Amino acid sequence: MKIMVCPLNGSRNISEFVYGGEVTDMPDPNNCSDAEWADYVFYSDNNIGVVREWWLHAATSYWFIAERHTGTDEIVRTYSTSEIFTKRVEFAPHPPEAKS
Amino acid sequence: MPFSLLKYGLKKDYPFEQHADLPTPTKLKASYDVIIIGGGGHGVAIAYYLAKYHGITNVAILEKGYLGGGNTARNTAVIRSNYMTPEGVKFYSESVNMFKNLANEFDFNIMYSQRGQLTLAHTDAAIRGFRQRAEVSKHFGGKTELIDPQEIKELVPTLNMNPGHLPVLAGLWHMDGATARHDAVAWGYAKGATQRGVELHQLTEVLDVIVENNKVTGVKTNRGIVKCGCAVQAVAGHSSLLAAKAGFKLPILSYPLQAMVTQPVKPFLDQMVSSSALHCYVQQTSRGEIVFGGGSDPYPLYNTRSTLELKENLLAHAIEMFPFMANLRLLRQWAGVTDMTSDYSPIMGLSPVDNYYLDAGWGTWGFKATPICGKTMADLIASGGKVPDLIAPFAMDRFKEFRQVNEMGATAASH
Amino acid sequence: MSNTMRLNKPMGLLVDHNKSINFEFDGKQYDGLQGDSIASALLANNRWLMSRSFKYHRARGPLTMAGQDANTMVQLGGEPNVLADKELIMSGQRVAGQNYSGSLVKDRDAILGYFSRFMPVGFYYRAFFKPMGMWEKWEPIIRKKSGLGKLDLDFEPEYYDKMYLFHDVVVVGGGPAGLSAALKAADAGCKVLLVEEQGILGGALAYHRFDIEGEKADILRGKLVERIEQHDNVEVLLNATCNAWFTDNYLPIIQGKRMYKARAKQCIVASGAFEQHVVFRNNDLPGIIMSSAATRLMKLYAVKPGQKAIVLTGNDDGYLTALELQEHGVEVRALVDMRTTNDSVELLTAVQNKGITVKKGHTVYEALGAKGNQHIRAVDVREIVGQGQVSQHSEIIDCDLLCMSAGYMPAYPLLCQAGAQLSYDDNSEFTLSNLPENLHIAGSVNGIYLLDTVLKDGEFAACKALKNLGHNIELPAKEKCTRKVNFYWPIFSHPKGKDFVDFDEDLQTKDIVNATRLGYRDIQLVKRFSTVGMGPSQGRHSALPTARLVADATDRTVTQTGVTTARPPYAPEKLAHVAGRIFDPVRHTAMHYRHLELGAKMMPAGNWHRPAFYGKPAERDNCMQIESQHVRNNVGIIDISTLGGIELRGPDAAEFMNRIYTFAFLKQPLGKTRYAILTNEYGVVIDDGVACRIADEHFYVTATTGGVDHVYRQMLKWNAQWRLNVDIANVTSAFAAINVAGPDSRKVIQKIAEGVDLSSEAFPFLAYREGTVAGIPARLLRVGFVGELGYEIHVPASYGEALWDAVMDAGKEFKIKPFGVETQRLLRLEKGHIIISQDTDGMSHPGEISMGWAINRKKSFFVGSRSVEIVMAREQTRKLVGFVLSKDNVKPKEGHLVLEEGNISGNVTSCEYSCAVDSIIGMAYAGINQSEPGSSIDIRVDKGLIVKATVVKMPFFDPQNKRQEL
Repeated sequence: MKIMVCPLNGSRNISEFVYGGEVTDMPDPNNCSDAEWADYVFYSDNNIGVVREWWLHAATSYWFIAERHTGTDEIVRTYSTSEIFTKRVEFAPHPPEAKS
Repeated sequence: MPFSLLKYGLKKDYPFEQHADLPTPTKLKASYDVIIIGGGGHGVAIAYYLAKYHGITNVAILEKGYLGGGNTARNTAVIRSNYMTPEGVKFYSESVNMFKNLANEFDFNIMYSQRGQLTLAHTDAAIRGFRQRAEVSKHFGGKTELIDPQEIKELVPTLNMNPGHLPVLAGLWHMDGATARHDAVAWGYAKGATQRGVELHQLTEVLDVIVENNKVTGVKTNRGIVKCGCAVQAVAGHSSLLAAKAGFKLPILSYPLQAMVTQPVKPFLDQMVSSSALHCYVQQTSRGEIVFGGGSDPYPLYNTRSTLELKENLLAHAIEMFPFMANLRLLRQWAGVTDMTSDYSPIMGLSPVDNYYLDAGWGTWGFKATPICGKTMADLIASGGKVPDLIAPFAMDRFKEFRQVNEMGATAASH
Repeated sequence: MSNTMRLNKPMGLLVDHNKSINFEFDGKQYDGLQGDSIASALLANNRWLMSRSFKYHRARGPLTMAGQDANTMVQLGGEPNVLADKELIMSGQRVAGQNYSGSLVKDRDAILGYFSRFMPVGFYYRAFFKPMGMWEKWEPIIRKKSGLGKLDLDFEPEYYDKMYLFHDVVVVGGGPAGLSAALKAADAGCKVLLVEEQGILGGALAYHRFDIEGEKADILRGKLVERIEQHDNVEVLLNATCNAWFTDNYLPIIQGKRMYKARAKQCIVASGAFEQHVVFRNNDLPGIIMSSAATRLMKLYAVKPGQKAIVLTGNDDGYLTALELQEHGVEVRALVDMRTTNDSVELLTAVQNKGITVKKGHTVYEALGAKGNQHIRAVDVREIVGQGQVSQHSEIIDCDLLCMSAGYMPAYPLLCQAGAQLSYDDNSEFTLSNLPENLHIAGSVNGIYLLDTVLKDGEFAACKALKNLGHNIELPAKEKCTRKVNFYWPIFSHPKGKDFVDFDEDLQTKDIVNATRLGYRDIQLVKRFSTVGMGPSQGRHSALPTARLVADATDRTVTQTGVTTARPPYAPEKLAHVAGRIFDPVRHTAMHYRHLELGAKMMPAGNWHRPAFYGKPAERDNCMQIESQHVRNNVGIIDISTLGGIELRGPDAAEFMNRIYTFAFLKQPLGKTRYAILTNEYGVVIDDGVACRIADEHFYVTATTGGVDHVYRQMLKWNAQWRLNVDIANVTSAFAAINVAGPDSRKVIQKIAEGVDLSSEAFPFLAYREGTVAGIPARLLRVGFVGELGYEIHVPASYGEALWDAVMDAGKEFKIKPFGVETQRLLRLEKGHIIISQDTDGMSHPGEISMGWAINRKKSFFVGSRSVEIVMAREQTRKLVGFVLSKDNVKPKEGHLVLEEGNISGNVTSCEYSCAVDSIIGMAYAGINQSEPGSSIDIRVDKGLIVKATVVKMPFFDPQNKRQEL
């Protein structure tokens, strides 16, 4: 079985982890177009190459980021989410005309 | 002994070259009316129907490996139509019907065998879903019933009715469920298409899609540039990669799907039996081997490596269903890469690029759709982009409109 | 019966000459020695016929004596396809042949061989289907002939187990290369596991002859094995097969009834090579074996394989085999060397000095069978005049044994599974390349055949492993092997066929060539069309001749043609060995045994077991009506411990709730509960619960039994991005909970509650309070899922049973009754409350289930907000409605369809007869034009019957919701 290095728990069998999707940027939900929003929700690059992904260590409910090659399955690096999410996120309010 | 075998056997120099199913390789022309990217079952089926029903034969099928060597070669050959949505059931039912005539149409035995598919329910939620699927199936003329444990016992006497902690409460009995020799389907279509003048080019990889003014005009291959009037991509497992070459994204993630097969033993199981709660699907082939399939791998990957953990889980559940199989020997484990959409339905029809058509998102349900997908896609291409009603619900734009065709419950571990 | 073919000691490394064992094969009794395989014991008794081939039912005997072919597959009791050359004999064992009709010796199906002309490659694609419908008639007939052994359908699985191993270095193969590698690594201080398929160490050293005198192997083996056995750092597994390679050197090793799962930091594969057969007519007759099979029989089992032998070879090893045979009393009638020159003059002289005729540049063109074709009787030897061409002149030589070797192919399967590429160069030699970083190869699998070089190659591989492990070590020079072992074209087609390329599938040279002529030119297409290599031995012998034939037929080199890939497992493995322990845990609540005592019918709910109702399964409907009536009229109690519970604490707790759930939570008052629904990013409703604000910075929110783990994980994931100051904990299993509901519920709880005023003024509907109940610290929620005055009481899980007992006790005077999940479903249905995933599906958005009120459109964001906005703004196509039907109708079932002008417009999600309403009531999705109260909807029930139901406004019962607010 493949081994994954969890930033919190060290090397563990990959069956202990849950894949959580690619790390993507959410467009501004209140100001983007419907098409941009649908693109964010449903579409994916789905490339072969090193991709930044969400992974969860199930037993400890710990989310982290892995950079993994989607062709070879090589895990290049794993690290804490705080490396890429560095500050508190706020959402811009609805533009007034969009309110119904 | 059938007459045809006597005939073959008595010919001194069998096989004559003119008996060949597939022509010997030729040079690529500079241009074709239609380029079909992907020489799997779907690609050759599209070519076949273009030639047969529309007289369009200036067609090249470009295959980077060998004919039917992708998921056509790797799937577990389940043919069924017991889906959940009316759109899905209508579409797949048509496919099941077409399969029945293929051997005679091809003059090539695809070994279509209607065995019936039994899916087991272990919870009341599963029973609700199965009842709905049975009802939708019957609504469109299918033969599907929700049956009780007693009926299951009579149908498959060897089945353990109390597998582990999950007793069998009911079953979805899909009499239309069938199987066929998967490779032969691709060969039959290729034979029919090439005999009508379509060119099949194996070992021909499309490296780039040439788009001018948002219109496809040709492809770049490892054997040079080829121009085209229009093109269709039918490259299950690699759909996103090719779409990227054409300049757009797809609502797809690609996951490995593993399967395995045992040594042959004398026949004891006619039906295809599956249980989504046990993540297990079991079938005995005409050679006597038992084929097992399960759920997709837990994360996306473009790789056909096998894993032990999947095998351990799948076989543990298989033994729960049929305990005596513990004595059977596993011969081979393999995998294919499947393009999963979020609603577990395929993507067929137009793409953002003009004259470039999509046959994608086939997840674990592509083989069974081969005939009808080939036929409707050929209609679409021949009409210059008029989408046939049967596949209109499966347009890629459904995601932009949040109108998915949800088949999630009807695809798990049943393939 | 006496073992007429037994040799004396020291022959027979694996057998005990003094212990005789009696067993049965094919209805006859045989004697063997302890340590014999079934096959070796049978050969000791001169019994060669062991199986019938797959297609033509030809007589077959052992080929490799190493478990690498399908010729020895037998039926062992209820177990089919057992390899007789691997399976040890046991006293009293009953072994039978398989795949025959009549008897193994007189198989009526053997007639099929005469019709092979009418069964050309892929014949089944060309026949049996005309006219239309014929295939249905043919298929069952053909199907009966398929398969090999018979499975015992009454077999009960036996105990097999698993064990994990962790080693610095795992060495696969205990031959000279493996032994040398293991010692090198162990000497450097590594923990080494050495895995060997045979019952003794030494690999080829145990059976192969390496020198003219026949001394070298024994001496070397003795030395190496002694060192291994005395080494503290080496653990040895004998009779063990490393059956696959999985990512990160995860190695399943099968031994006895156990599968080890070894994790190796470094793995060295020294798996040896597969000896290759020569293709000629009748090359499958019993008595024709690999050269290595003959030496294995003599040295390992003390069995003399024949009296008069022919040795057919493509390299110098045939000379050594001839010497070995002669030494043990087998008369070597001729040594047929396909080459025109051999490598070693000394060897040639030694053989000739023994009086053995050497025929260079010759081959066996055809083997002739004894009467009945069940054993070889002679060979037709001819001179080779071109590639695959022989002269007209034939010499017939009598024999009862033919030992053949066209060369060796690396035992590549494990390595190809690891992604290595096997290539075959124009010198007819193999190389394996593209190995993963921590996987190494040594010995003949690495194309190294000279013994001294093999030993050095083992050390070289160990050095590479040590380097990867961080040892400071100089890599010695890479060993090269100049010895050629493969004859370039060991294929001699015969116009009459039966020149087998693949023994498993009965495929002859013309089958392979014809496949290419029919257009199946790619090696993979040839494989799929002809089924070559798809049988039990997975191409170990057929891959190379197939590649050669295809290359030749399509004007390519073997390198261009390629060899087909290898997939796990290495050797066929029993499902019992692989199948894991199933880890699908079942969860019980703290009150589980109380439910059983009360006669509950339990049902699964996620991975929990919950009471469906209390009573006999057959009395479901009656039990439910009684239980529900009791809640409506008196008081009932239900165990709701499985309900998810999540605690949120911190300055941003309210802000976080506001972003996760659709409703507004910033201004939720303290001590109040609020209904909370959750959508995913597609805008689909995926969970619901009740949020209690315990303090300004403290929320306690419930989630569905099946959904809580997902909800919790999503909360953590979102907050990893938002970085709000909130702490999130899944406390589901920390709490046990009950709901006490019914007009008398206050009276019951009042008796045992302290520190909480239960009056409707002090503790109104939808309020949250804390206090003690029966002395247990408790959280109390006044919520109305079943629509009656009621209290949810959440206590630490360890008090669950005590709480249950206390409430049951306090409720005695009010005739309190427990009720189950099914009853609760009826009660909530009467109130029109939805159950997520029963009344919603993967497409349900809040608008479709009339939950628009639970969406706060003023806040700037919640998960799925934008998607909900998009789908709700769109024209709606369906809606979840309530319907009633008078009770004399056929009751629709959940899953039945709703029709609109004959078309499907929706489906029933919930339906039950309600005593309280005295009608059949239900919820269903219906077309938007059918969804107004008062509309009539068609529901197709069992047997295609249509019933007409009326859409009504929900709730069905107590429409003003007065009862829950008492």
